Amino acid sequence: MEFCAEIKNLTVRFNGETVLYDITANFAKRGITVLLGRSGSGKTTLLRAVNRLNENFPGYEGEGSVRIASAGAMREIYGKGAPEAARIRHGAGMVFQSPNPLPLSLKKNMLLPMELVLGIKGAEAEARMEKYLRGVGLWEEVKDRLNAGALSFSGGQQQRMCLARILALEPDMLLLDEPTASLDKKSSEVIEELLKKLEERMPIIMVSHSLAQAKKLGAHFKLMSGGRIVKEFEREELPRGKDTETFLEELL
Amino acid sequence: MVNKRLLLFRSLSYFGAAFVTFSCTAIFLFIIIQGLPVLNLRLLFGETPPLDAILGIRPVWEGIWPALVGTLCLVLLTTLLAALPGVCCGIYLARIAKGGLKAHLSLAIDLLAGIPSIVMGLFGFVLILALRHAGWQNATTCILLAAFCLALLVMPALVVATRSAVESLPPTLSLTCASLGFSEGQSLRRVLIPASARGILGGMILAMGRAAEDTAVIMLTGVVVNSGLPAGLAAKFEALPFFIYYTAAQYGDESELQRGFGAALTLLLLSALLTGTAHLCQRAVTRRFRGYR
Repeated sequence: MEFCAEIKNLTVRFNGETVLYDITANFAKRGITVLLGRSGSGKTTLLRAVNRLNENFPGYEGEGSVRIASAGAMREIYGKGAPEAARIRHGAGMVFQSPNPLPLSLKKNMLLPMELVLGIKGAEAEARMEKYLRGVGLWEEVKDRLNAGALSFSGGQQQRMCLARILALEPDMLLLDEPTASLDKKSSEVIEELLKKLEERMPIIMVSHSLAQAKKLGAHFKLMSGGRIVKEFEREELPRGKDTETFLEELL
Repeated sequence: MVNKRLLLFRSLSYFGAAFVTFSCTAIFLFIIIQGLPVLNLRLLFGETPPLDAILGIRPVWEGIWPALVGTLCLVLLTTLLAALPGVCCGIYLARIAKGGLKAHLSLAIDLLAGIPSIVMGLFGFVLILALRHAGWQNATTCILLAAFCLALLVMPALVVATRSAVESLPPTLSLTCASLGFSEGQSLRRVLIPASARGILGGMILAMGRAAEDTAVIMLTGVVVNSGLPAGLAAKFEALPFFIYYTAAQYGDESELQRGFGAALTLLLLSALLTGTAHLCQRAVTRRFRGYR
């Protein structure tokens, strides 16, 4: 199997408190990998280890190796000789639990990252903005309000904008931290449909609280508890039908 | 019991609001009533034709025009000197400094903020003496020295305003920038600083107001009663607050005192103008940054 990320002996501490214990895991290139586990089990920290975002929190200390697939090769992202954190975060695009638009107009939210990260401006950037807003089904809803503040849109629209914003940077993979946790049912379904389509195009690692969602989207599962991965299984190993959620529930 | 406390608290809040409003209105009304009757071209330019005075063709002897220009130059020069180090120091404290260094630097800023303006003036004066002693015979008090000392005086306000503006941004904002792949410099320049522009410019307005009204510093560092328009960075200058102080202390008759009130009203208007301009700048900057139309 081909991998998009390989983690070896990863230990992460915040202010001396260990959050991840000696984790070794591989993440498949094809199909959505879902990280399951109770609150505080270290799912988000593990996800953030893949784009080095843990470093932006106070008291971070980490050791171990994380390699991610970029331009056809596996590349170590920690230690000496690793690319800059900004480059890694561009390659591994992240969507957060609650929508996090910059306090700018929707248009600038889309254009500023393209300008700063890719150096794309003007008509090219606007064309790309339209393409990706269409991709998340948002264009028709917002095309007349592009200059309005991004925070004035509904939560679901904001989250789709965040997804479009990261996709417009054309990352190598997507990291999703409970992307539908703060959304209502209908908006969640829209995002889930999008993810199903995206799965074809790029590797996705997703943290999820919702067992129903995990069942719907996941191809590979990793169950976390107390900072360790305690169980890994594939979609095929899930029991069929209604028992799936009970099965997952019991695991947790 | 709880209701009584709430009532007390509310009454105190109302009292505070009313007290501030009343004092403010009283001061403004007093200055306007006293100053408005003499606020005319004669107050500004004396016997000199206004256009000649503005173009600097003929000197103004009886009017406060040179003092008005002097104060304006002084404020702009001070802002120019204080803005960059003040804002940068604030950003440094908010985003970069850590641990002991941060604590020490904060303490230094607090100490600087606590220095009385007359002491700052004295410092400027002694600085000139030191420069002369070091061999620079021509060193003398001037508008640049006054602006430098004023800049030191107002800088803490600017540092503190910038620091708290940047620190009060939601932490998710810099996390968002990082997650999008912005470098630290890019997030600062393109998102974090523009997002705190309101607070930074607020500090700038405060600093400008302070520079416009201060008398003690400039008294020891280069202001004079009659020098005409400031002739350069190394020249003596006139200033409105000093004119007001001087008039209040030495007026000969009622009409001279009236001119003092006229000058006070002019200073008030100048402050209002500076504040208004800064406010417009801030709105323009914010709109441009946010991309709202």
